[in-house]
Amino acid sequence: MSYKIPMGPYHPALEEPYKLDLICDGETVQDAKLHIGFNFRGIEHLAETRNYVQVIALMERVCGICSNIHTLTLCRAMEGLTGLTPPPRAQYIRVIIAELERLHSHVLWAGIAAKLMGFKTMFMTCFELREKVMDVLQAISGNRVNYSMNRVGGVNRDIEDPQAIFKMVQALELEMGRTVIPIFTTSSTARSRCAGIGVLTTEKAISCGVVGPVARASGLPQDLRRAAPYAAYEEMKFDVPVQQDGDVRARLLVRALEIMESCKILRQALAKLPPGELCFGDGKFDFTKLIATTATARVEAPRGEVMYSVSWKEGSRNPTRVHVRTPTFAVMPAIRWMVVGQRLADTPLIQASIDPCYSCTDR
Amino acid sequence: MNPTLTLMHGIPKRLGLSHSWVEEGGVHWLAPGSVSVRDVATMMNGLHARFITITAYQLPSDQGFRLEYHWDLDGQLLGFPFQPTGHSIESLYDLCEAVDWIEREIHEGFGIDFLGRDYEPLLLREGDTPGVNLREPVAVGNAVAAGSAVAVSNAVASGNAVASSKEKK
Repeated sequence: MSYKIPMGPYHPALEEPYKLDLICDGETVQDAKLHIGFNFRGIEHLAETRNYVQVIALMERVCGICSNIHTLTLCRAMEGLTGLTPPPRAQYIRVIIAELERLHSHVLWAGIAAKLMGFKTMFMTCFELREKVMDVLQAISGNRVNYSMNRVGGVNRDIEDPQAIFKMVQALELEMGRTVIPIFTTSSTARSRCAGIGVLTTEKAISCGVVGPVARASGLPQDLRRAAPYAAYEEMKFDVPVQQDGDVRARLLVRALEIMESCKILRQALAKLPPGELCFGDGKFDFTKLIATTATARVEAPRGEVMYSVSWKEGSRNPTRVHVRTPTFAVMPAIRWMVVGQRLADTPLIQASIDPCYSCTDR
Repeated sequence: MNPTLTLMHGIPKRLGLSHSWVEEGGVHWLAPGSVSVRDVATMMNGLHARFITITAYQLPSDQGFRLEYHWDLDGQLLGFPFQPTGHSIESLYDLCEAVDWIEREIHEGFGIDFLGRDYEPLLLREGDTPGVNLREPVAVGNAVAAGSAVAVSNAVASGNAVASSKEKK
């Protein structure tokens, strides 16, 4: 006889509220239903009541992990409306902040995955590493969550001491290569909890339209930094890690390898950081001279593609529409296919393996 | 020419259109003319393009809605604008599983009906009547929030709108 087990909206395995209704037969999950909306704040509608300065601060609050990515994508869309191109130094700083954000997001996820696997010490190690990245972000921006780095036409703050970031990158690379990656890849416990668990096949990944590390762990080599480079990514040399198995282990490996690639990108961006201005002109968004009334921008966030469509009526202080498509919105429906046929006890780790962000999803 | 661009520039001909792409605001736009949204989706599936999202716009006065379908073709962002007839347009759910949540969200937020599919409302409006345009005046408690989606979302969060709706039923 099948029975239903509700997981969430408030549950120890969930980082934020959402609900998974699991239909089980014994210990095996037969089907799952997802419910979202617990974090709905009406941000897209609120954006229409904010002016061109306020809307940037508002959209930074869509997500508490990848806050910078939201302002970066919004500012890129607004730059598309006015035809502004940020100066080279600003483009490099955007890359540096985006990669620092990817690092702390991926290391945070590694810690949560370790905790769900039962590696409490590894959880502490990951959070200690993440703290180093957060310290660097705080030193640059003065903030730990909402960095307020982006503005239309450039960035708000400079990176005055690139050498200090080099040291953090070196320490992170060392610890990842010495401790975190070997344990995740060679430990029999990690293998038994992750290998062959929560598989999303390449075919299903394509039909669900998943993005980011989840897509790359299912054999799809898609990454906007490579396919549609923005900021200064065209000048960076890096690999796009891809795994074929589509299981939790593949998603774990992709993110671990992406941490190393982010370090590689950071080294290049810091070494080549060009001199010059931080912002084009006076950095004001001239809403009286628009070259387009709608503009769209995409960015590769830690969880995958973020897309902003911004519509602006010439002469208006406020946008007429801001639409946000976040990566978790695209990836989350695939959880249903990952958990079917799996053990109930594995579902917390499987759903966490997409590194979900429910705040982003609900907006 | 880059193979992706060759593929992209072949799309208008495949759809039987005489005009070509127009690049604006970071998107390559193709006005679909009389081609249906399902024909576009079938062709994009055939090219192994990835569906990204649908962006819904409510047009001024009584001009209805505009739905912009975004697809990714090897890094190229392609857009197809459609104007639904009244409040409905054909669903792509059976052709493209990835449209599921965004069709449901637009149905709940703008009251647009995607024909040919069943709905399972997202929790945002669970228990309420789905398919109501949140931008239109909606009864909240004893008052009417004139076009204030923010007021409605606040009311939904506090449970007032749901309670109000159930009272009406």
